[in-house]
Amino acid sequence: MSTTTKPSHSTAPAPAKRSPLSRHNLGTVVGFEFTRTVKKPRFWIATLAIPVVMAIIFVLIFASNTSTSASAQAQKNATLDFTFTDASGIIPETLAASMGGKKASDPDTALADVKAGRSDAYFAYPANPATDTIQVYGADKGVFANNTYEAVAKQLLSVAAQTTINSPELTAAAAGEVKVQTETFRDGKVFGGFGSALPPLMFLLLFYVVILLLSNQMLNSTLEEKENRVTEMILTTLNPTTLIVGKIISLFMIGLVQISVFLAPVIIGYMFFRDRLAMPDFDLSSLTFEPGPLIIGALLLLGGFTLFTAVLVAIGAVMPTAKEAGVIFGPLMALIFVPFYAISLILSDPTAPIVQVFTYFPLSAPVTAMLRNGFGTLGTGEAILIIAMLFTLGILILRLAVHLFRYGSIQYSSKLSITKTLRRRPAELTGK
Amino acid sequence: MTAGDAANEPLVHIRDFRMDFGETTVIKDLSFDVQAGETFGFLGSNGSGKTTTLRALLGIYQPTAGTLHIEGKPFEPRDGARLGYLPEERGLYKKEHVLDVMVYFGRLKGLSKAAARAWSLEYLERVMLADKANQNVDKLSGGQQQKVQLGVTIMNSPELLILDEPTKGFDPVNRRLLMDIIEEQKLAGATVIMVTHQMEEVERLCDRVILLKDGTSRAYGTVSDVQDQFGGTVYRLTFEGRIPASPLYDIASLAPGTADLAPRPGATETMVIRELINAGVGVRNFSTERVSLEEIFISVYGEQNSLAEA
Repeated sequence: MSTTTKPSHSTAPAPAKRSPLSRHNLGTVVGFEFTRTVKKPRFWIATLAIPVVMAIIFVLIFASNTSTSASAQAQKNATLDFTFTDASGIIPETLAASMGGKKASDPDTALADVKAGRSDAYFAYPANPATDTIQVYGADKGVFANNTYEAVAKQLLSVAAQTTINSPELTAAAAGEVKVQTETFRDGKVFGGFGSALPPLMFLLLFYVVILLLSNQMLNSTLEEKENRVTEMILTTLNPTTLIVGKIISLFMIGLVQISVFLAPVIIGYMFFRDRLAMPDFDLSSLTFEPGPLIIGALLLLGGFTLFTAVLVAIGAVMPTAKEAGVIFGPLMALIFVPFYAISLILSDPTAPIVQVFTYFPLSAPVTAMLRNGFGTLGTGEAILIIAMLFTLGILILRLAVHLFRYGSIQYSSKLSITKTLRRRPAELTGK
Repeated sequence: MTAGDAANEPLVHIRDFRMDFGETTVIKDLSFDVQAGETFGFLGSNGSGKTTTLRALLGIYQPTAGTLHIEGKPFEPRDGARLGYLPEERGLYKKEHVLDVMVYFGRLKGLSKAAARAWSLEYLERVMLADKANQNVDKLSGGQQQKVQLGVTIMNSPELLILDEPTKGFDPVNRRLLMDIIEEQKLAGATVIMVTHQMEEVERLCDRVILLKDGTSRAYGTVSDVQDQFGGTVYRLTFEGRIPASPLYDIASLAPGTADLAPRPGATETMVIRELINAGVGVRNFSTERVSLEEIFISVYGEQNSLAEA
């Protein structure tokens, strides 16, 4: 046997000191996963792409609105030179003259003038405008500008009728231009209508945004360890539950960053350029924030997020590559849109069998329940049952995902056999 | 357990370990211990079950039967701060900077960020990768990535260092560098379990070894013990004539003009030389050699390969 030789190179770095207090592995995993994602240029390219596109659209809308406004102003100022005949006798000549009209004595001559370009338009009002058609003839000024003729013809008749009635109240009532305020009651209390439905439905919107933005990253979160062959190093360094929970937390944080970036231009646009961007002016005072639906909405969001995350992580643990995982990923994602096929039934008849199936089938339950919660057709008992189901299943599947990752992710190149992996370690081996 | 018992308890204790993959039994009733502070060679041909045993020991595989303990209990990932494991399947986060990956693993193993960073920079300097610290791992060659992975493995000054073919794919210079680093860990008091096919590494570093074949132990003990189990010494001679069969020795190897003779119990050098001379063999040179581990390895696994070829 050869004798032991002394090292011929310089000594290794002095041993680094371990500190028991420094073993905050969950924080370490979250920090590593979050930092390495947000420091990558491709993350910001992908994240900023949407706000940049939105900003470009806003600029185009801004430019278009300026152009439209100028065009509308020009049309408003332009005088229409038209002639008319009135078999009904409703239209006063003075009123028509104020709008640029002149009564024609001969319909054929009036029409010939239009054809020859000597007049912009000719309107032939019938004896009974309520039943007979008003004939409008005009010189072509383009598809959209030609609509002006009809608008002016109607406007002239409308103003003439109002002048004849000589009563603003009757005119408004006849035109249906009246204000209505509806108040409904539920359990003896005023129900806020759409203003009550909107706040809980925001959780549904948030659910879609989070799932659509993060689902692919959730799927790939454990695949990365597998594809990079880091699994063995990781499994002997930290608890797989810590790794997976850390990844989920970091993904959620990344999602918040992305949502903030996406919302920033909308909020800035709404606050500072609302008029110029033709953004609707929401009357926030009409919103009613009822604690019950809000709490249920929040719990459904968290439960749904937990369930979908767990399922995606489990798929990632079973499949050897992202490509193969994608085969299952597509149909799974489709399930969160399926309830919209029955949206009218969900809103109008929550007891319908299809609605009940969607309400209690785990992967369609979050969306269906959040819709019903928003529109006030989800009972408290049902809500508790669904929330319990989502959390219970989510936690069970997450535990399964951790187990699959721990004992299955070493299969680098083949799909995992779940049944084999689920075989528990005999007690004599664990020493427990 | 008394203090005395604890002191005598092996760091790694494997008893009656059996591992089945489906209908195939990969390991059959394997038992061995590794004492604290020793360097243990885990030898065997490809597919003999070495990596499977290590993975089962570290809880990555679920054993079919048997006891696999580290410090008296099954390994749990939370014990990873005291372990350095270089797996056979090499891999790191390829799209991350070398230094970031090292610091991350250092943090997971209980080092402060500053300590992990300082240690990593010093290590990279030593293995001549200081200029790669801020490059992505996938920009490094395979050998360079292995050096980084070895750094990650030893950066927490592990009490138990498990290395699965640590020098696989290295050129002789880097192999020597890595063996020096491993030897330093040994001198610093680490218990080392090393899977390798490099017999000179085993003879240089290992206190005890186990030879695995077809999932069972073929030899187990100190290197001298194993050499003794496989004949211990050979008489190496150059000669003229023909070596006759004799009750004093077995012909271990024979080539034109040279032979290795394995003496049978009771036979001495003098008796063998006299036997050869009496048989008319012209002995030109005669020396006594220990059987090398490589020769033992070849004799054990060569037989297997011959059978496989047949």
